[in-house]
Amino acid sequence: MRKKASVLVSALLVGALVMTGCGTKAPSTPAPGSTGSSSSGDVIKIGVFEPMTGANAAGGALEVEGIKLANKLYPEVLGKKVELVLVDNKSDKVEAASAASRLVEKEKVSAIIGSWGSSLSMAAGDIVKTAQVPTVAASATNPLVTKNNDFYFRVCFIDPFQGKVMANYAFNKLNAKKVAIVQEVSSDYSIGLAKFFTDSFKQLTGDENAIVGVSNYNTGDQDFSAQLTNLKAKNPDVIFAPGNFTESSLLIKQARQLGIKAPIIGGDTWETPEFIDIGKDAVEGAVFSTFFTSEKPITPESEKFLAEYRKEYSGKEPAAVTALGYDAYIVILDAIKRANSADSVKIKEQLATTKNFAGAAGMITLDENGDAVKDAVIKQVKNGKFAFMDIVKAK
Amino acid sequence: MKQKKTLLTVITIFVLFALVYLADQTLDPYKMRILNLCAIYVVLGLSMNLINGFTGLFSLGHAGFMAVGAYTTAILTMPDVVKGQNFFMAPMMKPLDTAHVPFFLALLISGILAGVVGYLIGAPALRLRGDYLAIATLGFAEIIRVVFTNMQSVTNGALGLKGIPVSANIWWTFGVALVTVLVIGSLINSSYGRAFKAIREDEIAAESMGINLFKHKVLAFTIGAFFAGIGGGLLGSLLGTIDPLMFRFFLTFNVLLIIILGGMGSITGTIISAFIITIGGELLRFLDESMTIGNLVIPGISGMRMVVFSALLMIVVLFFNRGIMGTKELSWDSFFNKFSKKPLAKGGNKQ
Repeated sequence: MRKKASVLVSALLVGALVMTGCGTKAPSTPAPGSTGSSSSGDVIKIGVFEPMTGANAAGGALEVEGIKLANKLYPEVLGKKVELVLVDNKSDKVEAASAASRLVEKEKVSAIIGSWGSSLSMAAGDIVKTAQVPTVAASATNPLVTKNNDFYFRVCFIDPFQGKVMANYAFNKLNAKKVAIVQEVSSDYSIGLAKFFTDSFKQLTGDENAIVGVSNYNTGDQDFSAQLTNLKAKNPDVIFAPGNFTESSLLIKQARQLGIKAPIIGGDTWETPEFIDIGKDAVEGAVFSTFFTSEKPITPESEKFLAEYRKEYSGKEPAAVTALGYDAYIVILDAIKRANSADSVKIKEQLATTKNFAGAAGMITLDENGDAVKDAVIKQVKNGKFAFMDIVKAK
Repeated sequence: MKQKKTLLTVITIFVLFALVYLADQTLDPYKMRILNLCAIYVVLGLSMNLINGFTGLFSLGHAGFMAVGAYTTAILTMPDVVKGQNFFMAPMMKPLDTAHVPFFLALLISGILAGVVGYLIGAPALRLRGDYLAIATLGFAEIIRVVFTNMQSVTNGALGLKGIPVSANIWWTFGVALVTVLVIGSLINSSYGRAFKAIREDEIAAESMGINLFKHKVLAFTIGAFFAGIGGGLLGSLLGTIDPLMFRFFLTFNVLLIIILGGMGSITGTIISAFIITIGGELLRFLDESMTIGNLVIPGISGMRMVVFSALLMIVVLFFNRGIMGTKELSWDSFFNKFSKKPLAKGGNKQ
């Protein structure tokens, strides 16, 4: 009996597989134009490699939302249709390299967008460099991503600038003289930001001992009382705690329970609904820097983006990475237009000279490393919502 | 007969390398990457199979050994300039920042270091059995990862390393895979190998036959770790970038999947399933894309291929519940037997 059942189940599964298998064979014959093969006669292919499954799936999905929206608004360039080729990198470095290689070799894309997560982007770095396909990361902030790689660009600002912005904020607006840092030691983003904050803050105060203490925690930690008790004894004016939203939110909650009154500031990863859901009243007043605000359009393109986004996803406000994904797409399109060709090397040359380009998340100028120089937005949690505070100019 | 078999083996190896040469000449970098990954997974699968399949020690510490190997190879082969760029947070520790060795030596040192770590972990942990051993080794692998995350001046912490010279090509990966197959193959057929299998079948019986349990377990564990280190080094070199998060439990799980599918205790099975799983995962990518059937356009669902892949695995496990090969091997003997079998006489009872 059991054997019969197992045979039945397997037969069903095989049947399902065969059917899906047949289904995909179909488009190769009909559907003229819609699935243009590698010969890019009337389509220009742009590859997207993002974590659609695995640990970073949520971030990847937000970015893809923005890219697809941009593709819907600007479906054509040079009179040709732009086709997005989305491949999943499974939040895995090995898979990310294979995915990028597939886009380059099999799909023969003209340019690539991706990926959420700096380490996944770095896995693709060598591949796109060798194949000479320009790649634009939307939200990868690790400085190593674009270093030594002429073909990697990004439309977000990088951690050194964000560190400087928050150091300035702490020094000028909060009049802080002594700062303590709590960093998520297993996150490249967090330790990078903490390092650049430290450098800037020391420079601003002229005091080598301006950072009174540094504590570490790991991703997934729930209890921060040891780190916080330690820092409380040092009596800092401000606590800088860049890191993942769940951990940061818990950390702030526990800090308030321990009676720490000092303002706690952080980075762009905090801007998620979960941050407020977990922290509730405790995170009230928390300040962080980010890329984008939906309250105050920065450029005409932002208005267009916001209007279109709200139409497409009613009742939802766009996240910063969605706007950045959108920007990555339109920056590439702009470069193709200026290059007047779908040739990847020509696109790369034009991308490198992008200047004062109006994106949804601010004006974009790419510097000699391929990093975006752009304004930062400072936000604060107010009445259980992220409220816009200030825009900090890049220069 | 024995000579004939050796000759056949040598010929097969030549044919294999002729095929590798052919692949090198004709295939695009994407397909080469997949083939490289296959060979690396053969190395990793075999090293894990030696511990889990042949010796019967349920160990989940593989990602840790791979991390040791990958970092060693990376640090020993990266040019000084690149090291300087990578370590912008804190300068690299003194003798390491200018340390250089050729790729082969770097791989060897990676293996040895991973072996040493394997010994240090194995010596205390192998007193445990079954699930407890699995938990202990899993814990040790996580410890290695966390230590690497925190050693900023040696491993560059969470930022990871970028710009590792891509020395691993198809000759390296297939060469190392071949060496691994030969070494582990002859080890399994030696008296050590028989001792390993005896331990797997029944520890008490093995011990009463005079097999030194501790010595053999630690030996299998150390050799497994050695090859895992080399495999890790190759993987890092193929990717050109590594970071501690890469060596999470999932990596161990991937390798475990290969040996379970191939058969715990079968070299042939491990090789076959390493190829099936690596190539299969890429082949099934079309399932993620949007499909058009007639006029109906089905939008692509990401992760669809994983669902189908899991279903296929389930089928394999249902019908071959000891993996594709079980503990069987493909050898020249079994090959000859298959073809020299006399056809069944009329009325013979076919089983």
